Amino acid sequence: MTVFHDAATRVECDSIARWKKDGKPVVGYTCSYTPAEIFYAVDILPVRLRGIETDGMEVGDSYFGPFICSFPKCILQLAGKGRFSFLDGAIITPGCDGMRRLDECWRKAGEDFEGIVPDYFYYFDVPHKSENHGMAWYIEEINQLIKSVEDHFNVNITNEKLQAAIREFNKGRRLLNEIERLRCEKDVVVSGTDVFAAAVAGTVMPRDEYTAELKKWVSALKKRKTSLSEGKHRVMLVGSISDEIDLFELIENTQKALIVGENLCFGIRYEGNEIAEDGDPIEALAGHYLGSSVCPRMYGKYKERLAMLKERIGQSRAEGVIMQNIRFCDLHGAENALFERDLEAMGIPCLRVEREYGPHIDIGRMKLRINAFLERIEGRKKANKGDGDET
Amino acid sequence: MRPEIEEYHYDWLMGNTLKASAILPLGTKKETELAYRYVPYYKNVVKSFIDAGDPGVQTLVMLAKYYENILTAKARGKKIAATTFCNSPVILYAMDIVPVTFEILTAVGAMVWKRGMFDYMDFCCEVGMPETSCSSQRGALGAVLAGLCEQIDMIICDTPGVCDTNANAFAFASAYMDKPFFQLNYPSSIGDNRSQQYHIDDYKEMIKFAEQHSGNKLDYDRLAQVLAEVDKQDAMIADLEDMLMLKPTPVPPLFNLALYAGRFCFSGHPQYTTLLESMVASAKQNAEAGISGLKNREEKLRVFMCYIDHYTVDVNFYNYLEERGIVHVGSILTRNFRDNTPYAKEMPGSTYGVDTSTPEAMLDTIAQMNARLPMVRSIRGPYDKKGMWLEESLVCAKMYQADCLIYNGTPGCRNTWGMVKPFARDIEKHGYPCHIMYDDAFDDRVESWEATRERLDEFFKIRGLL
Repeated sequence: MTVFHDAATRVECDSIARWKKDGKPVVGYTCSYTPAEIFYAVDILPVRLRGIETDGMEVGDSYFGPFICSFPKCILQLAGKGRFSFLDGAIITPGCDGMRRLDECWRKAGEDFEGIVPDYFYYFDVPHKSENHGMAWYIEEINQLIKSVEDHFNVNITNEKLQAAIREFNKGRRLLNEIERLRCEKDVVVSGTDVFAAAVAGTVMPRDEYTAELKKWVSALKKRKTSLSEGKHRVMLVGSISDEIDLFELIENTQKALIVGENLCFGIRYEGNEIAEDGDPIEALAGHYLGSSVCPRMYGKYKERLAMLKERIGQSRAEGVIMQNIRFCDLHGAENALFERDLEAMGIPCLRVEREYGPHIDIGRMKLRINAFLERIEGRKKANKGDGDET
Repeated sequence: MRPEIEEYHYDWLMGNTLKASAILPLGTKKETELAYRYVPYYKNVVKSFIDAGDPGVQTLVMLAKYYENILTAKARGKKIAATTFCNSPVILYAMDIVPVTFEILTAVGAMVWKRGMFDYMDFCCEVGMPETSCSSQRGALGAVLAGLCEQIDMIICDTPGVCDTNANAFAFASAYMDKPFFQLNYPSSIGDNRSQQYHIDDYKEMIKFAEQHSGNKLDYDRLAQVLAEVDKQDAMIADLEDMLMLKPTPVPPLFNLALYAGRFCFSGHPQYTTLLESMVASAKQNAEAGISGLKNREEKLRVFMCYIDHYTVDVNFYNYLEERGIVHVGSILTRNFRDNTPYAKEMPGSTYGVDTSTPEAMLDTIAQMNARLPMVRSIRGPYDKKGMWLEESLVCAKMYQADCLIYNGTPGCRNTWGMVKPFARDIEKHGYPCHIMYDDAFDDRVESWEATRERLDEFFKIRGLL
């Protein structure tokens, strides 16, 4: 577990340092719609860019305007401070308005801070629909990305190499799914914090090393007998992008709750489906990364996302859902409101909370809200017991 | 929402207000002056338009007609589509669907009411939209979500990836009201064959959606008629654009608002043609006399609004420009990027043409025209790339001889707040003073008009412009 926590809580974790020591390139990417397998196929380490370990915002605020979510600002802050100096490349994706502007802000900051823009800096144009021409556009984008990576890094990305990378990534996906099943048991033997750390680690660690570590950990988990869910409320955490282990800790350190599932941009939601290992690997990657459509940037798919959330709530036996959105993240802010309306109508308690990403300046307020919510669940549980209802 | 607000059907209220104001100038001057007594809060707006002469009156008539269409749609058996300003209503008119453009209706309400659209904006937040979402949709949408408007039958937007806040408001409305939803979607680039094809493919899907939910099959003869009207309108817009370049410009600041409001409301519809004819005639008269379109006839400064204008109560912003002798040489909303406009010649690949020779040619025309509407054309990709915001702003600033550029938006404009600081820096590097306004174009509670005016004055003074 230590290796996962190291990878999840440090920008330049040990795995990245070792990879660099071997003289191999690292490429950062900003969005879950980027097929990381493309890079791993040719021994380039794909690293999901994060905003952890920021301790100020003077760089982020100098380029981004005031009404922008703190997540891309934190990434820019780290870039401006040279914390991404290990990157040989970066892929920017129009995940949302804030994230896509990282392209200009990072490049423009590079005019003021020498050497902060990686030599390879690429804009990967992901469409907002996955049907027909949307999928065709995305496939073409993948082909162009491959050509660009081949030209810049002097590599040859073949179908065979892509299929091998897909197979390696799938091993991790299967193992994460095994953990998900453990979280659905009546007695849960693993904390949400640890699972999330493992999931985040998968976005930065070399995949074979990750698979090996994950295999060992899953094997150990299966032998665990001690229930962590006993006497605690089972909750789900959903909403805006988060790679913050401390947000999970904040909830679980109340000693009243266990996170049994999450629906976040980092985390297991993208690992639910394996990618086809035979056939055209590019089509398989496109079908997985774009076709899943689990993010509110894919407008008009609310019903599908609600159905998926309901299914996960049912499987994980969650008693309540904590919905968070980073300020200025309207996509999740608005969707959380719809989720709250529809889930509460089904009798599932929800907490909707707006917050800042990065240094937890509002930790006290968050604690207060979460504790009050857990008390609400407790009260509801007691009331139901009084009525003879065990649900 | 306050209970008394819920007492009024918003569309009816606004429609009748505009209808009354449209007939106000039909009386004698004395009668009109007397009537102002009975509309103390609305007086300044209606007076500003009436004082602008026939084009101002035609603007009021056009807005009244827009509401009349909405209010009578159901009785006429027509479906209503909620849409956004950067999605042309041309196809809807061609398919006999009535458009409801949220941003236009919010702007009208914000200008007309002393309290602005605050109650309706806040209602959106009451039902779950974040307060940080864009006020331009939240105003009119709030009235719709509160059930105070004509029933919407379908929702079409075209801003995903260009303005996510905008797209999100329409997606929220669709989920909240359980209405059919279609999103047109643009790539981050424009002008290349791949993007052009994407525009067409996507537009065809949108037509299928509109056919399905309106029950009306697209009639290509009707589309040809509407596009012929667009062609006629584009020629007059080009005339106005040419006159905006003159120094002094014979085009008054308020004409800019009327020009794009008309396009968003009635592109391809004779109602807009009437307005344009009136504006062209009025501006030509000034041009022939060699006089400025400003009321005091003295042009002191030429401002290019590189994003949008300011729409709160009493059309204060346009009156401010008049008072200070400032010429408004257009905003991102003014330009249409038709292939006959001079600025477009500076930007190859950025334009559309009108071809009604075959159904395929018409589809290509309308899809490429739609893709060139404000914001979706040049805010879609990184601002410093080919054909995008920086290039467009510099071309327009140079061509219209602007002395400075001003950015105005809403806090919801994350598409531009995400990079407006480096953008402004680049603009300054090209020699143009650039001011960033921190207000909300539709909501004076974010920054009072008085504070906004002070900041504008400060900018003009410090930069030695006035």
